[in-house]
Amino acid sequence: MINAIDKTLASLIKRNISGYLPVLMALIVIWVYFGISEPAFLSSRNLYYLLMQSSVVGILAIGITLILLLGEIDLSIAAVAGVAASILGVLSTNYDFSPLTSCLVALIAGGVLSCLMGLVTSLFGVPSFIATLAGLMGFQGLMMKILGSNGTINVRDPFIRGITTSTLSDNHAIILSIFIILIYGFLLYFDHNKRIKYGLNINPLKLILSKFSFFSLSILSVAIALNSYRGVPFLVVIIFFLTVFIAWFTKSTAFGLYIYAIGGNAKSARHVGIPVIFVTICTFTITGLIAAIAGIIGVSRYASVSYNTFVGGPLLLETIGAAVIGGTSLFGGHGSVWHALLGALVIGSLGNGLDLTGASAADKLIVSGSILLVAVSIDSFARRFKK
Amino acid sequence: MSKKHSENDKHKPHLLANSITKSFGAVQALKHMDFEVNKGEVMGLVGDNGAGKSTLLRILTGVEKPDSGEVSIDGNETKISSPQDAVNAGISVVYQSLALCENLSASENVFLGKEILYTYGANFYPNILKPLNKYLMEAETKRSLENLKVDSIKYLNQKINGLSGGQRQCLAIARAIHSNSDILLLDEPTSALGLSQTEQVLSLIKKLRTADRAIVIISHHLSHLYEVCDRITVMKAGQNVGVFSLHHTSEEEIIRAITIGEVVINK
Repeated sequence: MINAIDKTLASLIKRNISGYLPVLMALIVIWVYFGISEPAFLSSRNLYYLLMQSSVVGILAIGITLILLLGEIDLSIAAVAGVAASILGVLSTNYDFSPLTSCLVALIAGGVLSCLMGLVTSLFGVPSFIATLAGLMGFQGLMMKILGSNGTINVRDPFIRGITTSTLSDNHAIILSIFIILIYGFLLYFDHNKRIKYGLNINPLKLILSKFSFFSLSILSVAIALNSYRGVPFLVVIIFFLTVFIAWFTKSTAFGLYIYAIGGNAKSARHVGIPVIFVTICTFTITGLIAAIAGIIGVSRYASVSYNTFVGGPLLLETIGAAVIGGTSLFGGHGSVWHALLGALVIGSLGNGLDLTGASAADKLIVSGSILLVAVSIDSFARRFKK
Repeated sequence: MSKKHSENDKHKPHLLANSITKSFGAVQALKHMDFEVNKGEVMGLVGDNGAGKSTLLRILTGVEKPDSGEVSIDGNETKISSPQDAVNAGISVVYQSLALCENLSASENVFLGKEILYTYGANFYPNILKPLNKYLMEAETKRSLENLKVDSIKYLNQKINGLSGGQRQCLAIARAIHSNSDILLLDEPTSALGLSQTEQVLSLIKKLRTADRAIVIISHHLSHLYEVCDRITVMKAGQNVGVFSLHHTSEEEIIRAITIGEVVINK
């Protein structure tokens, strides 16, 4: 009897965290390894820089997760971010647009470019790999044209810089954390109550409590750790709420359900009357908006726009890597934006740790590739055993 | 061929396909095919591979359009030119592939395409952006599975990729009848199942038989059909070669009709 209860509990826990497990394990292994070999890695100062460094990849990973859930791919995502960044840089620096207007134009540009990719993919039936590869090349060219002969624009606008340089005061950070924890607790309670009210099977209290304590502990410890250096960056708050919103959107609205359904079985999605083309185009557009946000964050962080930071470097591959390390399937239908964010942290931690230990660029590439391979192998093993 | 069904000529069949013809290039898949099923009846549809069963199914569900002939429901001619038309006409189908989404939960699969949404009294934004009422969907799914006495699917809010073939078949059937359709077409519902799972599905089909529902089962397994059907329509080379009442017909006679059946039109 007790055995049976334990078994259900175990299977419940497995089902609840199995998605997080590979990426969390990878993260823990990396942190323990670098924590031992380079104690500065676990300092609050380094945590601050780690989060900052992972921000652009993290936001892009959220965006590409939506596309991967559909069963498509977007190779143009980093280039879209680059175009949005260039537009922001040029408008705010060379043309004296107000920073807010420039950001708005950059957002619209990102949405329009990716919408175009969605149109070509779903209306003309061009495989998204090819359509967005063409987009990647075209948008790179567009970015060069916008940036002009210099290739680099320095952005000194205090508002734009402030997005990534400002931090919350210590008290505000703690109050916000407690507020978020209370809301999370309320949502768990609400969910539990509703399930009882509708006569559905409920999760054991132990599981709910452990979920809640894990969440609150993580939030509070990050807030306290960051407070002991410069404070919680405003950027972290932005990314947190962006992820909350996109996660809610994909998991709890009809639109989000359609994204998963199309990625899981496009044919039957069409059969039950889901507007597949419309959903695909809209999802690409949303991803374009998210890419533009990443572009704006990038401009703010580097105080400049240059070709190399967005499309010349490894940004696109790191983005796809982050989503896949987070357990999002390249074949569609499986994954979540929270996992993608954790995947971005894995990539960021790796780069950061290797930098601290003085590894060469060559070492960094080799290790990153290996980690990607290991993470994906763990994931596909886990999937095979679940079946 | 004396047991041909002729006793209820005055009775109007619920679903009637009249003289359906369909060609694919030079191949004539259906030649003046007649088919009928009454309310409260389970009708089997058998025939060798290539006899035209699937083509008939695809015409009844609006996936294909017939070259000639018409479909009528309760005596009214009904145009079925798209899957949506079929749904509107009260026809729902469970394909052999089941058409479930592996990565969604049981309740999401049942409600896919007709979700229950929170409206919050606001109608200025489109339905597609409204939040799902997951609790109500799950409770409804639970209730309809309970009505069907399917108790083996426990976690309705978990992905269905852990379910067995029989459980999936039951879920697909639950989804099909959930759309309040009164004509249910089942394509090979037992073909991929083991013994106990077959029993599970057949007993579910027996429970589905109600006075106001017409059920059509396509199958190669005559013994399964004998367990649940009232009548069997035999097809050969795109034609109806006989409708047999199972109470008066032996399995041998049906097999003979499938293999060497000649067309005797006596409608």
